Amino acid sequence: MSFYYHEPTSLAEAIALGEEFGADGRFLAGGTDLMIQMRRGKLDPRHVVSLHRIPGLDDVSVDGAVTLGTLVTHRTLERHPAFQGRLRALREGAEVIGGRQVRNVATVGGNIANASPAADIVPVLLALDATVKCVSPAGERAIPLDAFLVGPGETVRQPGEVLTSVRFPALPARSATAFLKAGRRKAMEISVVCVAARLVLDEEGERCVEARIALGAVAPRTSRAQSAERALEGRTPTPEALRQAGRLAAAECRPINDVRASARYRAHLVETLVSRALGRCLERIAEEAA
Amino acid sequence: MTRIALQLSINGERHEVVTEPHRTLLDVLRADLGLTGTKENCLEAECGVCTVLLDGRAVNACILLAAQCQGRDVLTIEGLERDGRLHPLQQAFIDHGAVQCGYCIPAMILSAKAFLDECPAPTESQVREALAGNLCRCTGYQKIADAVLAAARDLAHLR
Repeated sequence: MSFYYHEPTSLAEAIALGEEFGADGRFLAGGTDLMIQMRRGKLDPRHVVSLHRIPGLDDVSVDGAVTLGTLVTHRTLERHPAFQGRLRALREGAEVIGGRQVRNVATVGGNIANASPAADIVPVLLALDATVKCVSPAGERAIPLDAFLVGPGETVRQPGEVLTSVRFPALPARSATAFLKAGRRKAMEISVVCVAARLVLDEEGERCVEARIALGAVAPRTSRAQSAERALEGRTPTPEALRQAGRLAAAECRPINDVRASARYRAHLVETLVSRALGRCLERIAEEAA
Repeated sequence: MTRIALQLSINGERHEVVTEPHRTLLDVLRADLGLTGTKENCLEAECGVCTVLLDGRAVNACILLAAQCQGRDVLTIEGLERDGRLHPLQQAFIDHGAVQCGYCIPAMILSAKAFLDECPAPTESQVREALAGNLCRCTGYQKIADAVLAAARDLAHLR
């Protein structure tokens, strides 16, 4: 690998460099994927534009909504007090990625822009109805994460466009999130399947008002299990309803056979992990109410 | 390709390095500065032998551009002893026989240092979790975990 290296100190400067280099340039965030792809020869950009000297891109802001700057690290998600309660799935997704050395540098923006079907943060953000912000000389675009992701390594982000942040609404009372991951071992492992869930119950805490279920590593991109979500909304989340949601999610996912697992085993994991993640959400809502 | 001049702070000393922009911190430490205590192996942030501390946090030097370290503090295994006295972690690894071939150990000790700085009185499972990004193919980890827990006790006495 060989390239020209740039360190813009403002977003405006980064956007100008992005426009100048277009597809010949790559933005560098944590580098935990880009550096490896470059060393393997899969990517060979002429210009690398590091974002890490631009102030503010690593901010976490929590008001009515939560905004994560593109350079927020997995380690920050693990430790930030905002992600210990209802938003715990974000911590759970962050803490299972790589070792500490990777989590200290790997970023939220990188995890999204990299668009790995097995990304661990992305299903959580999808379950939170997150919106991605991208900036270019043409202006700012706010793109729902569901519309941002296209396929493996592919998004609607244009070359030179800077992904600056991701934002999602704060969670109301009687709601919770959960993230579960199955790998072949506990640590340093790419997901065989990962599942994120979010449930919102009504004021009586009986019926499900809103359900989100996002699946990783069982389709060309992270995607929602919408038939399973619909089956829960407006209903009482009984144990059988959660199992039914698991069966529906398993039926609508599109896993493949690969070195890590068979498609059949992946579908089986989806069925189990979806109902288990939904159960965790209910437990957490009950704990908070108690 | 252009070369760039970098001022790096390594183990408290300032170094001026002129290098190509694609070279990693690991390349510069080992080849340019002769600091070969930081090891090279997988080059993909899987094995952890290249771990150094950047502003006190454990990072994989194999996937970090040297240019990104300008103006930040790098600590390698060579910088851990003070006035010829080993750091309590280094002494504990010796005392517990936590070293076999030794290749993973400098990085293991630096990961453990960053962890103990943050969590001075850990449980064994916390130690094991914190060291998950450092692979050892010799020891089976038990003596490493024992050494880190002993060092935590030693450091508590020194405080």
